Amino acid sequence: MAIEGIDTARCNGCGACVLSCPADVIRMDKDAKKTVVRYPQDCVVCCWCIAECEQDAIVLTPIRTAPLFTAWG
Amino acid sequence: MEQGSSTAGLGFPEGAWIKADRAGGNGGPAPNEYRLEADVLVIGGGIAGCFAAIKASEQGARVILVDKGYAGKSGQTPYARNFMAFNPAWGHNLDDWMAYINKTSEYVNNRYWTEITIRESYARYLDLVAWGVRFQTGEDGQPIRHPVPPGITDALRFDETSGGDYAQILRKQVLRSGVRVLDRIMIAELLKQDGAVVGAVGFPLDRYDLYVFIAKATILCVGACGFKPAAYPPIVQLTCDGEAMAYRAGAEILGKEFVDTHSTRMDTPVGIPNMLGRGRNVPEHLKVLMGPGRGKPETNAEGNPIPDRPAGASLYTYTYLEREFEAHAGRAPIYTPTPEGKKEVVGGACLGMSLRKADGLWPADTHCASSLPGLYAAGDALGNMQNGAVYALAGSAIAGGAVTGTIAGVAAARQALRMGKLAVGEREIARAKQAVHAPASRSGGFSPRWVTQLLQNTMMPYFVSYIKRADRLQAALSLVMFMQQHLVPRLFARDAHELRLAHETRNMVLSAEMRLRSALFRTESRGNHYREDYPRRDDPNWLAWVKIREEQGEMRLIKVPIPTEWWPDLSIPYEQRYPFRFPGE
Repeated sequence: MAIEGIDTARCNGCGACVLSCPADVIRMDKDAKKTVVRYPQDCVVCCWCIAECEQDAIVLTPIRTAPLFTAWG
Repeated sequence: MEQGSSTAGLGFPEGAWIKADRAGGNGGPAPNEYRLEADVLVIGGGIAGCFAAIKASEQGARVILVDKGYAGKSGQTPYARNFMAFNPAWGHNLDDWMAYINKTSEYVNNRYWTEITIRESYARYLDLVAWGVRFQTGEDGQPIRHPVPPGITDALRFDETSGGDYAQILRKQVLRSGVRVLDRIMIAELLKQDGAVVGAVGFPLDRYDLYVFIAKATILCVGACGFKPAAYPPIVQLTCDGEAMAYRAGAEILGKEFVDTHSTRMDTPVGIPNMLGRGRNVPEHLKVLMGPGRGKPETNAEGNPIPDRPAGASLYTYTYLEREFEAHAGRAPIYTPTPEGKKEVVGGACLGMSLRKADGLWPADTHCASSLPGLYAAGDALGNMQNGAVYALAGSAIAGGAVTGTIAGVAAARQALRMGKLAVGEREIARAKQAVHAPASRSGGFSPRWVTQLLQNTMMPYFVSYIKRADRLQAALSLVMFMQQHLVPRLFARDAHELRLAHETRNMVLSAEMRLRSALFRTESRGNHYREDYPRRDDPNWLAWVKIREEQGEMRLIKVPIPTEWWPDLSIPYEQRYPFRFPGE
């Protein structure tokens, strides 16, 4: 799972997700006045953006992109 | 074993070597440069940084707080649950608390700092209450005290359901105090002049600009060190930036051999229970992702329960190596009971992180000064060893951040206010600027993401970072030194976001070297440092801390004996001094 995108129909451009993302995955598209997923490969699925978004505009993908690290195998 | 779901996001295809998008290389950044002056520069906006900034400002200092993320949302602080508060009026007894922590720390806690943290915790609790932070209270209006462990110490809990996010309240207090806050700027290099730290240089995350901070005193509050582990979001941005900067500037570091052992669930890797959403409106689908939490007893692959620690040792199981011992004995996977049945537990959630308050800058005194003039540290960036080799005092991590932040803020402000105007040489500023932008100035190089993944893959096996042995540590060190010498100098950044990644990667590789060398150096087992080839505590030789500093380009390790008056009574049999037996003893 990782962030897939922003539902632009829902996004109101408040930018709360940009400020909450510890990995700098999301940026503001100043022209569109919406947020955009700029660096999806750096998403750590902390879900702060989802918790912060009052518009429920964050879309997670169920695609598994990399194995979880394991301390034992 | 079935592989769990992704959390690292490292599966996107990207080669090891990346290059500039256009012919002629990156063109080299042509940044705007901003110069700011302050009495006190605070780097990091978690609880330690917020307290440091507020307290320094209250002393009359001009304070700038700069954060790689967004102060009030960054680091581990927003995830905290417990706050230790010692109050004799509640029947707390200092001698009892000290005796407990001295023993559970396995006698390598710094008793000055343990006592300071305990004594000053209640005053910091009152600060938080005065600023508007709310704690869980009973019907009588008094804070509810949670006994952890029962009968010895207890902790208070933040009430975020009624009071909002306490870290955001801290941010508001910082701003009310007149502190200038600059978010989303990564500090990558300290400025030095005449042997003292005189500020720092950083860059914003979204453009190549440079920020030069000239400061009479600098406080590092940058939190813990991790290797961006997949399953512990609080430390994803805590990549040892402070220790690494300070080490390169000549400061001393300690405590790198004691590992943190948080684990998580394989099916819901974000599901460290209750870590997210306290005080926030968590959607139902996110609750599913977080999972229903964990229970006890955990069981091994044979169905047998993993035992609690014996009486007299800490009851905090998540800071111990029990699961790793089970795995090493061939009894993984480990399961936890949940309302949905038993679920697999996986370790390494905090890879790269030391036991809280173990690693960090060597405290030169009890005022949070480092070994470098002008440089202070607080919170997890200060290696004050308040908990020794085992974390055993509930809520002391966050309380310790508030306590040391306060001490550092006051001390740094007083130093700064005694000083005259500071003039920093242009040559030093030019050196630091060049170091900050170096990864963006190349025409191509190694991808920071790729090098980070190499580092994670090297350090992740449980038998490297947790169950240690000289040959494996040495082998991993060879790989890390290869990265250090041949990959890090050729890291490349295509934009400011990747410049951040490049510096983080550089810092994590240095942290890995410190961790491996310290683990090799301490030829005994103690608390959260287990050496398979030295499975016993060695009190005559290792009631000591391991300090690191750079000498002529080499990493030098120094054994610093603990004051003999802090030693346990060696006439007491070993088995009574240490209730817990390591495997192989």
